[in-house]
Amino acid sequence: MASASNLAASDHHRNPQRGNRMLIHAVVVVLCAFTIFPFLWMLSTSFKPADEVFTRDLRLVPHAPTWRNFPDAFALFPVAHWFWNSFGIASITTAGKLLISVPAAFAFARLKFRGDKILFAMVLATMIVPGIVTVVPNYILVSNLNWMNTWAGVIVPSLPATAFFVFLLRQNVMMLPQDLIDAARIDGASTFKVLIQIVVPNIKPAIAVVVILSFLGMWNQYLWPLLILNDFESKTLATGMQFFTANVESAQMWGPMMATATIATLPPLILYALAQRQIIDTFVTSGIKG
Amino acid sequence: MAVASPGQPALQEVQPTAIKRAWTGYRLTEGLTPYLLIAPLLILIAVFIYWPLIYSAYLSFYDWNFVRPDKTYVGWDNFTRLPDDPRFTRALRGTLIYTVTLVPLQVFLPLGLALLLWPIRKSRAQTRYRIMLFSPTIIAYSVAAVMWLWIFNPLQGILNKVLAEFGAERINWLSDRSTAIWAIIIVATWKTLGFHMLLYLAALESVPKDYIEAASLDGATHWQIMRSIRFPLITPTFFFVLVTTVISVNDDVFGAINVLTDGGPFDSTTNVIYYLYQQGFQFFQIGAASAVAVLMFAATSLLTWVQFRFVERHVHYG
Repeated sequence: MASASNLAASDHHRNPQRGNRMLIHAVVVVLCAFTIFPFLWMLSTSFKPADEVFTRDLRLVPHAPTWRNFPDAFALFPVAHWFWNSFGIASITTAGKLLISVPAAFAFARLKFRGDKILFAMVLATMIVPGIVTVVPNYILVSNLNWMNTWAGVIVPSLPATAFFVFLLRQNVMMLPQDLIDAARIDGASTFKVLIQIVVPNIKPAIAVVVILSFLGMWNQYLWPLLILNDFESKTLATGMQFFTANVESAQMWGPMMATATIATLPPLILYALAQRQIIDTFVTSGIKG
Repeated sequence: MAVASPGQPALQEVQPTAIKRAWTGYRLTEGLTPYLLIAPLLILIAVFIYWPLIYSAYLSFYDWNFVRPDKTYVGWDNFTRLPDDPRFTRALRGTLIYTVTLVPLQVFLPLGLALLLWPIRKSRAQTRYRIMLFSPTIIAYSVAAVMWLWIFNPLQGILNKVLAEFGAERINWLSDRSTAIWAIIIVATWKTLGFHMLLYLAALESVPKDYIEAASLDGATHWQIMRSIRFPLITPTFFFVLVTTVISVNDDVFGAINVLTDGGPFDSTTNVIYYLYQQGFQFFQIGAASAVAVLMFAATSLLTWVQFRFVERHVHYG
């Protein structure tokens, strides 16, 4: 009992004063305003009728909000195609990355084999290769394979950029209790069975984080699809946006442009809002600290 | 649990360390299976990361434009001509500016923010702050750039409208040589603030609670604990952020440069990565682009090596 009251007292002692806390809130609120304002302004513009977009006053809430900009955007550019391409490419790449990195993470965490250390180092070393360095040869390769303007051309060369996920998953596999795996081995389970029936179900939270981060990464990928997808309809949302800015006439179409930006922003925002606690927890438990 | 393995040489079984490992049951052994498990990953890495590195080195000695069937061998010309190219010198200048301004902004600003948020971690407001601060991180750079394009627009953009309220003159943010690079730096700072903050917060959270309790029972104040326990224990995260930031800042701004300025005006917002992109895919100078790729890889490797050597000597691993 005594120690508990001691702790309570010290807890009170080490917290900053009330005034300090108000100051902290004030500073943080200002910074939040800075980060969130472009989103609000985008959202506001995407619901403004054309005559309100160019008003002199700084109107955050439109006087006559309208949905018009959304159908207008779909009519101007193949936004529906772009959305489908973004979604398909991000989903398939994520599935592919999981298929190659979960087994590898398991092997590097739990199996002993010749060359394991050097092979793992080779995987980790890919993290320091800047993406731009491999762009020219991969572009030549993709065009020789006749994969220009296809999902495969974007997806396949993106798959091996997964070293961070292998690292993250390996940390989580290493933390599983040995008894869990031993029990299965005694029952005569093969390595594959151990992987699928024991390891995978027990690292689900880490897998969920990989799914989210990989999906976000691919949804937002820019340079590579910019090079590979040249057809109007084969673009993704992230790369298609450039047509609004490249085209002088549509550059005046701020309403439809912001509507498209809103569409491109929603899936990542929703995904993050649902999973943000999970992402932090995985960072904490896998000790991402160099 | 040791499992008999036909694939492993007998020699390994009698090595004392191997036996010890097998008995503590840390790893299982089973012939070819591990190789099957890592094969898909390693093959893809070899084909799309390591092979391109080698092929870039090869291409850097040739003059080629993607289309011509034959490449002309030019020796070191692609490298030696770089310093004479004013566009390359301007790209170097841009790279320097981006690195010098963005590394502190992306390493220290989020650290300060995490330290600010830490004392109020239990309040419900903190979750909301975190979501708001993190949201720029999760959207596409190109989409972020489009949002800011609208803010920076000289005629109808809100930034100039607000400045006009205070009587300021109109600024052509993106087409003026002196402001364009700052516009991109603002967007890049806005974009990455939340992610690094989150890493720091995770690190602060993973500091063992008994250290803190022991210290506060001894009468240490909040700031003493921060200075002598929390901060030393998050230095590995600090260096992780530092290393990754130095390597990635110039890569990260690509989308913003591409959408907002295309490297202009007068190459004032370009950097080495944008130069490589333009040489390769706007001017089709494959040899020159590859030479830059080779130099970039060398510089990045050197930088990583230096930083890790430094970190090993100066960082506490909790």
